[in-house]
Amino acid sequence: MLNKFLKSRIPAAKKLVKELNKYYDYASVLGSLVNTRVISVSSRTNSIDNIDNECGFVVKVYKDGRYSEYSCNDIIDLKAEDIVKAVKLNKILTDDFKVKMLQEKKHVENYLREDDTYYDDDTIFNLFTREKDRIHNKDKRVINVISRYSCRQTNKIFVSNKKCLTQKYDWVNTILVVVVREGDKIKDNYYARGNISSRVVLKEYDRVADRGLEIALQLLKAKPVKPGKYTVITKPSISGLIAHEAFGHGVEMDMFVKNRAKAVNYIGKKVASDLLNMYDGAASCVSAGSFFFDDDGIEAHTTQIIKNGILQRGISDSLSALTLNEEPTGNGRRESYARKVYTRMSNTFFGPGKDTYEDMVKSVKYGYVLCSASNGMEDPKNWQIQCSAAYGLEIKNGKLTGKIVAPVVISGSVIDLLSSISMVSNELKIYGSGMCGKGHKEWVFVSDGGPHLKTEAILG
Amino acid sequence: MIKKDIIKCLKANKDVTGYEIKIIDKDSRELFYVLNHLEINRAVKTKVTTVTVYNSDGKTTGSSTFAINAADSISSLKGKIKAAIKMAKSSRNQYYPLVDKKVNIKESKPKIANLNDTACDIARAVFKANIYKDGWINSTEIFVSAFKNEFINSNGVNHVSYSYKVQIEVIPTWSNSKKEEFELYKFYESNEVNLNNITNEVDEILNLAKARSIAVKPSEVKIPKNVPVLIKNDMRDLLVKYIAKELNYQTIYLKYNHYSLNDVLSKNPFDLTMKGSIKGCIDSAKYDNNGIVLPSKTIVKAGVAKAIYGSKRFGYYLNQKNITGLFPVCELKAKGIDYQNKKHIIIETFSSPQLEDNSGYWGGEVRLARYFDGKKYIPLTNFSISGDFFKDLKTVEFSKEITTSNSYKGPKYLIFKGIKIY
Repeated sequence: MLNKFLKSRIPAAKKLVKELNKYYDYASVLGSLVNTRVISVSSRTNSIDNIDNECGFVVKVYKDGRYSEYSCNDIIDLKAEDIVKAVKLNKILTDDFKVKMLQEKKHVENYLREDDTYYDDDTIFNLFTREKDRIHNKDKRVINVISRYSCRQTNKIFVSNKKCLTQKYDWVNTILVVVVREGDKIKDNYYARGNISSRVVLKEYDRVADRGLEIALQLLKAKPVKPGKYTVITKPSISGLIAHEAFGHGVEMDMFVKNRAKAVNYIGKKVASDLLNMYDGAASCVSAGSFFFDDDGIEAHTTQIIKNGILQRGISDSLSALTLNEEPTGNGRRESYARKVYTRMSNTFFGPGKDTYEDMVKSVKYGYVLCSASNGMEDPKNWQIQCSAAYGLEIKNGKLTGKIVAPVVISGSVIDLLSSISMVSNELKIYGSGMCGKGHKEWVFVSDGGPHLKTEAILG
Repeated sequence: MIKKDIIKCLKANKDVTGYEIKIIDKDSRELFYVLNHLEINRAVKTKVTTVTVYNSDGKTTGSSTFAINAADSISSLKGKIKAAIKMAKSSRNQYYPLVDKKVNIKESKPKIANLNDTACDIARAVFKANIYKDGWINSTEIFVSAFKNEFINSNGVNHVSYSYKVQIEVIPTWSNSKKEEFELYKFYESNEVNLNNITNEVDEILNLAKARSIAVKPSEVKIPKNVPVLIKNDMRDLLVKYIAKELNYQTIYLKYNHYSLNDVLSKNPFDLTMKGSIKGCIDSAKYDNNGIVLPSKTIVKAGVAKAIYGSKRFGYYLNQKNITGLFPVCELKAKGIDYQNKKHIIIETFSSPQLEDNSGYWGGEVRLARYFDGKKYIPLTNFSISGDFFKDLKTVEFSKEITTSNSYKGPKYLIFKGIKIY
C-alpha cells in the first residue's frame, strides 16, 4: 500500500500545481519516500537498520524556454512564491535557445507491486549467522563471511495539471561475500541475488555459500591474465555489464541532445553481430530497474535498442525526447528527489540466441569463460569500453582446464567486441543487484543481463 | 522535528543506553547547461536527520540507525526508537563505548554570497575558457552548496560546523582535422570560489581534449621497456588511500591488512600523515563520523609503517589507548626526483581508475596519456595499464611538484617503473 504520508500530500501537491500555474506555463510535483530494511551479518560485525533513504519532493516549473526545479522535505506549507524566489536568477548567463514545454496527456492511476512474503529480522539474522558459522567451520582460511539482506520499498506520487499517479514497488536483494586468506593473499567471492520476493532470494541464498567458498579458495591460486586478445565466453552477468556499458549509456538520449553520443549517427546502421539483440525498459521484466512510471510521470516501456545487429533507437527522459522530437521511453530517473532527472537505463540486457553453453565451450580452442561482473565504464562519444570480471576460467581445446585467472579487465573498442560475437546461448538471466552512475555521480538501481556470448576480447 | 524533542524521546526510552544524532542542512543552487544554453536551474533546501540508538550491557553492544523525516510526529518517532531498539537487541556486537565529550566544536555561521549569483559567476568563469574554434564545452553542470552539520551524542558531544562546496562537471569536446570529435570528463571540486582557477582548469581540460583528438596508440610509438609511468589525480589518490587503509584499525581488526607496524613499505622513504583538515582539501573535517575531534597522526615515517589510526569502535576493539578518529585527508612528503628530461609517460585520465581491494591490482583503460620521448610530448590513447600495488610501492618514486586534491596533499606524480602497458 502507498505510504500514508505521501498519500496525504496529494491534495497539497494539486493545490501547489494550481498556484504555480499563475506564474508558470507548466508545473508538476514528484514526491518520493524510499525505505530500506537492511540486515547485515559478518564474522565480526552485525547490524539491522530500517532507514528512510529519502523522503521529499521536487517541484518542476517551466517558463520562457527554461525549466526550474525546487527540492524540499515537505510541500504542506510551501507557497508558490517561495519557489519563484528560490529559482529566480538575477545574473543569468545563457544564449537564446529555448527548450520546449512538456505536453502531457490525462493520466490518473495507482500502481502496486509488493513483496508478498515477510521474514522477521531474527529469522534472517539467524539464517545468516548459521551460514557464517558453517562456512567458517569448513575451512580455516575463511576470515570473513558477509551476508546482507535489503528490502527496498519505493513510494512515489506524481501530480501535474493532467496527471495524478501513485506507485509503490518493492525490491529485495541478498548478497553473500566469502573472504579467504592464505599468507598475504586475500581473495573474496560474492553472490548477489534480487527478486520481488524475500522468500525467493532467501531460498537462493541458501544454495550459494559453498560455491562462494570454493571459488574464493580457487582464487588464492589465481594469477593475473597475460594481457592480449582472447576468445572469451561471457557469463550472463558479464554479458549484462557489456550491454550496459557498450550501448546502454551510449543510447541515453540526453547524450544525443548534448551531441555526446556517437550512436546518434548510427541509428539504422550495423553496430554488432547479426546474432545480437538488445533491450532496455522498466517494463521489460520485473527486476531492480523496474517501476510503473518514471520520475517525469511517463509510463514504463520496453525498448529494443539493437535488432539483429542494427541499432534501432535510444532511450529517453521526457525533456530529451521533446528536444529530439521523439516519444519518451520512460527512462527519466533521479538519484533522489534532491537531484535532477537524467535519461537512465533501467533493466538492460541482450536477448537470447540458439546456442548452448556447452557447445560454446566446445568450440573454443584457447580462451576464457569470464565470470562475475564487478564494474565498468562507458565512453559513449568514442566507443571505448572497460568492464571488470572477478575471474576467468581457462578453456583449452574445448574443455575447462580448472585453471583460474583473476582479476580480468576487458577493454578496447565497443564495435570490435560486439561485431565479433559468434555464438549466443539460448538462456536469459537478469541480475538485479547493481547500481549505475552517470559520469561519476547520480547513482540509480539498475539490472542487466543476457545470455552467454562468445566473442573476441582484449583482456588485461 | 526539533532537536530537543528527539533527545527527549531518546532519553525517555530506558533501553536506549546511548545515541548519536546527525543533522545536515543543505542549501544548494545548480545550473545545467547544454553548450551555452541554460536548460534547467535548481534550488535544493533540505534537512536530513539520522539517529543511531545503542543498547549496551557492558559486554555487548547493538545499534540501529533510522532517519527522521517530514512524515514523522512525536508518536511515530517513539515507534521508530522502539523498533530500532528491538533491532539493536537482535544484532549484538562486541561492546564499544561512544565518544566522550572533550572539546565541542562550535563554528559560527559564515557569511556567504547569494548562491544563485555565485553559480552564475561560476558559469561566466567556465565559459571564459570557451574560446577555441575546434574545441568547445559540450555540457556543464554547476553546483554551489552550503551545509550546516551538527553532531550530538549521549555523552555530551555537540559539534556544529559549516561547509561550502563548489562542484563543476565539464565535458569538453575537440574536433580534429578529420572532423572526428573527442571528449574528456572533468569534475572540479573546491571549498572556495576561485573564478580564475576555474577558468584555468576548464582551459586545461579543453586542451587535453585537443591532445586526445590527435593521440595515437602506444604501438605507433617506440616506447622503451620499463619507461617510468607517472600517475596523477584520482588514481594517485586511490593508491595513497590504499596505503592508509592498510594501517586503519578496521582493516587490521578484520585481518585484511598486508602490512604490520615496522614493515618497510618502500625503499624510497616517504612520510604519510593522516589529518582532519588540509587547506584546499574539500574532504577536510574537524571531527569524524562519531564525533572525535581530529588531531593528526604520522602513520608512515621514512617508508616504514609506524602507527595505526581509525574509528572509536575499531580502535577500542584493538585496545588502542589514544584512539585517533577516522581521518578524511592525508599529506605525503618525500624527496622528489627530476623526471622532466628523461623519457616517461604521464597518465592524464583513466576511463575509470581501478584498484582491487584485496589483491592491490590496479590500472585501467587510459583515455589520454602523454609520452615524453626525450624531446617532445606525444599524446597517447586506446590502451590500458596494470600493476601490483604491493610490488610497485616498493620502488615508487615521487615528483618534486606538490599538489592538493580533495583528500590529498603531496607530490603531484607517483612514478612507477615496470608497469604493464597493453
